[in-house]
Amino acid sequence: MKVDRRKFLGLGSAALVGLSLKGERAIAGSFVNESFQAGHLLRDRAGFPAPKRIEKVPVVIVGGGIAGLSAAWRMRKRGFTDFVLLEMNDAAGGNARWGENEITAYPWAAHYIPVPGPKTVYARELFEDLGVLKDGQWEERYLCFSPQEKLFLYGRWQEGIEPAVGLKPRDREQFQRLEDIFAKYRNSGEFTIPLEVGRSHRTADLDRVSFSDWLRRENFDSPLLHWYMNYACRDDYGAMATDTSAWAGIHYFSSREAEEKGPLTWPEGNGWITRRLLERVGDNIRINQMVHRVAIGPRGVTVEAGNTQFQAEFAIFAAPTFLAPYVVENFGPLHDFAYSPWLTANLSLDRLPDARGAEPSWDTVFLDSPTLGYVDATHQSVRSHIDKTVWTCYWALTGGDSKQNRRLRLEKDWAYWWEAILNDLERVHFDIRQCVSRIDIMRMGHAMVRPTPGSMFSAERQRLSSKKDRLLFANSDLSGISIFEEAQYQGVKAAEKVLERIAGRK
Amino acid sequence: MGILLFISVLLVAACGLIYELVAGTLASYLLGDSVLQFSTVIGTYLFAMGLGSAMSRYLNRGLVYRFIWIELLLGVIGGFSSALLMLAFAFTQGFELILYALVIVMGVLVGLEIPLLMRIVRDRYDFRDVIAHVLTFDYLGALAASLLFPILLVPRLGLVRSAMLFGLINVAVAVWSTFLFAKQLPTARSLRVTSVVVLCALSVGMAEAKKITATAEDNIYADEIIFARDSRYQHLVLTRFKDDLRLFLNSHLQFSSRDEYRYHEALIHPGLASVPVARRVLVLGGGDGLAVREVLKYPQIESITLVDLDPEMTRLFSTHAMLTQLNQKSLLSPKLHVTNADAFPWVDTSTESFDFIVIDFPDPTNYSLGKLYTTAFYRAVARHLSAQGVMVVQSTSPMFARDSFWCIAATLKQVGLHTYPYHVYVPSFGEWGFVLASSHEYTPPTSLPAGLRFLNVEGLPAMFQFPPDMAPLSIPPNQLNDQVLVRLYDQDWKDISH
Repeated sequence: MKVDRRKFLGLGSAALVGLSLKGERAIAGSFVNESFQAGHLLRDRAGFPAPKRIEKVPVVIVGGGIAGLSAAWRMRKRGFTDFVLLEMNDAAGGNARWGENEITAYPWAAHYIPVPGPKTVYARELFEDLGVLKDGQWEERYLCFSPQEKLFLYGRWQEGIEPAVGLKPRDREQFQRLEDIFAKYRNSGEFTIPLEVGRSHRTADLDRVSFSDWLRRENFDSPLLHWYMNYACRDDYGAMATDTSAWAGIHYFSSREAEEKGPLTWPEGNGWITRRLLERVGDNIRINQMVHRVAIGPRGVTVEAGNTQFQAEFAIFAAPTFLAPYVVENFGPLHDFAYSPWLTANLSLDRLPDARGAEPSWDTVFLDSPTLGYVDATHQSVRSHIDKTVWTCYWALTGGDSKQNRRLRLEKDWAYWWEAILNDLERVHFDIRQCVSRIDIMRMGHAMVRPTPGSMFSAERQRLSSKKDRLLFANSDLSGISIFEEAQYQGVKAAEKVLERIAGRK
Repeated sequence: MGILLFISVLLVAACGLIYELVAGTLASYLLGDSVLQFSTVIGTYLFAMGLGSAMSRYLNRGLVYRFIWIELLLGVIGGFSSALLMLAFAFTQGFELILYALVIVMGVLVGLEIPLLMRIVRDRYDFRDVIAHVLTFDYLGALAASLLFPILLVPRLGLVRSAMLFGLINVAVAVWSTFLFAKQLPTARSLRVTSVVVLCALSVGMAEAKKITATAEDNIYADEIIFARDSRYQHLVLTRFKDDLRLFLNSHLQFSSRDEYRYHEALIHPGLASVPVARRVLVLGGGDGLAVREVLKYPQIESITLVDLDPEMTRLFSTHAMLTQLNQKSLLSPKLHVTNADAFPWVDTSTESFDFIVIDFPDPTNYSLGKLYTTAFYRAVARHLSAQGVMVVQSTSPMFARDSFWCIAATLKQVGLHTYPYHVYVPSFGEWGFVLASSHEYTPPTSLPAGLRFLNVEGLPAMFQFPPDMAPLSIPPNQLNDQVLVRLYDQDWKDISH
């Protein structure tokens, strides 16, 4: 009898739940753009077949990220076309790759560039070339539309990511004092983009402590301020402030002086720049060509990829430098190159979820979220009516040991990550599950170089970037921070050196 | 048994409080003056509870049976109270009457609950314990409900579904009680059947709550609604009071048929009459065909292109008899080409040029609409102007939204156009403004089409004069990356309404 009663109630409540809740909708998706299987062949020193053919070409560029593409852009702009660029993936772009579906184009990694200041000469030159900067005016359509950023905290929205509500007088005082310190460093002219232009040993002490230790030493203890500083480090370096050099932390805030409300951004993020660069240098690119051996000889460099041995006079190694010990003969181990693992997810939305009264903005961040928030790919559309979009969620796996995080990233399946991402979004957009039709996830084990304490003034780095032999290094990791402007600067600089030496010999 | 019983008390108390809060909140929402509404609703409710308690002494037999019936009644009345009140406000004149009638009925029923329960269980426990336990759980339920209501229920479920959810809980208590007090019930079957019916009704209500709310909200307009439809893009409502036809888009008034001629004559003629030989005209927005009606007063016009986002809008204004009478079937003119498209991308991709361009968009109330008032947009539009071409922009009110008006003028100026701001009085809108812009000097026309009801040549120069309270302000231009206009507009209207 008792069982029957329970059954009756059970059935009743089940019927109720069934009537009041909508069925969970199926979400499609997968991991995409995986390249670690191929990359790990290098790490495991797998045997590669001996080359079957030889190709002679004056210059070989290894790696088709922004550094490699920029080197190629520079060479072609100078009228030099006799080179090949070898890209391991099926598309060039590196951290500026993009995707596209029936809704919109969207970024897979880097998605914006702060409006470059006057010292960022090469990037400004590129933007003049691409029609982004015309007669000193930045093209309005490429500047981030209003509203730019919003932060969800204490159950409400605020404009901008720097916390502005719920501040105690102590928080307020500390934000102001820190801004004054950043302004002082900004005015010192030592924190520049490219780094190399302004960096001097006068501020080298700042590289010996972590950013969080430095903040504490300067008597900053506001939890909101620490959250914001950590957010900045996670966002730009994929690291917590404890794992970031104080010099790099300060650089984030002291290197930029906006001359226009920005940043520069496009639906496909920095993929827009990749597209424009591919239009200019696409003919020189060979895709699916993973370089597995580079050897420097007395009269040239040999570069082996697949079944081809390229015999070149010069090579530019624009791939991440950590690969060099596995690829370049007699290279020796590296000590000062650490990398942050990342995860990005692209969510296709059939309709816009409830946003608790907020209008869609470009970048949305939740206070105390483990992720970095999401960017709306249709935000740069000039349309007035937008009912479908793609959100790109960024997640730097920062806490704890990078190796462990990398392993975690490979072990967990797709459903684990999308569930984690939806759980996070659901805290603010309660009906998100009813709006998402697809979630694709990209895992990057070594997404960006990590500016750990000591790495900004590393002798190893300086040795590699001032090398004068036939193999030049050009990845942004030589600068110590992984941003577009540094990658582009390193690539252009390497191209200039190569062109100079080729010209000098003729 | 004991704890189950007291949990019933807790649930019953929570339900009672929720209905009271729902009624109070709805009354404040809909009638305003929340202090008054809450005080009177709570007062009436408590008084009715007292009535219920007093009446409980007249119930002597079949206490359990009656208690369960009260739960079922409360489940239905309380559960649907919120929906009922919303619909009452939207469709009847007697909202307050229905409100207080409901409050009294619910109060009486709630007032009966606890005395009956106490009497039902008095034989099982010591009297002291009954009082202590029942009242403890009663107050605990009230606390839970009062916390859940603002934090979880209203934001997550809304008022309609919150009430229904608690209606379900009342019914659940009824069902539960048929088992709990089975020994004191002669027959439980009919009660259980009724419960299932009520349960189903409330569940359907939960699922359809959105429709109920929408139906109610649609109807909160001053006049009789003669047409209402949700298009993919907006909510269209047409109301009529005697000979006054009004169009609302997303609850914003677009025109009143009594004075729209003032608006549309002022929008079109100062610009179009000044173009020596205008042949091709572009109208952006203006799916009501009223601007087109004015343009058609120039026989030399060969073609008019109308770009409006919403096909529902252009369809309505080319088929509805009252509306085609108003726009004089302008949308059916053979000179007209209607394109239903988003204006900015259309302007970007079209290569046509026009002698007169009309930009008649809704006010910049949000960043999406704000894009249509930026330097980037005006630059793109200006490329379509012929050598003699002129454009005119609906620019909000220079009186009520003075900063916004001058911001739009500054934005047009920023793209290198000459600007000529002017204003007219439209009774249903108040003082309203427009900006003429062209790449050459503009002089007001010396002749106008025949048959205008508002404009005459003598009156034109005065429209370009701005008295001190509407005089120019120095405002930065509106740009895609810095939409100052949306913030100004929001601020301007806040300043007016507070």
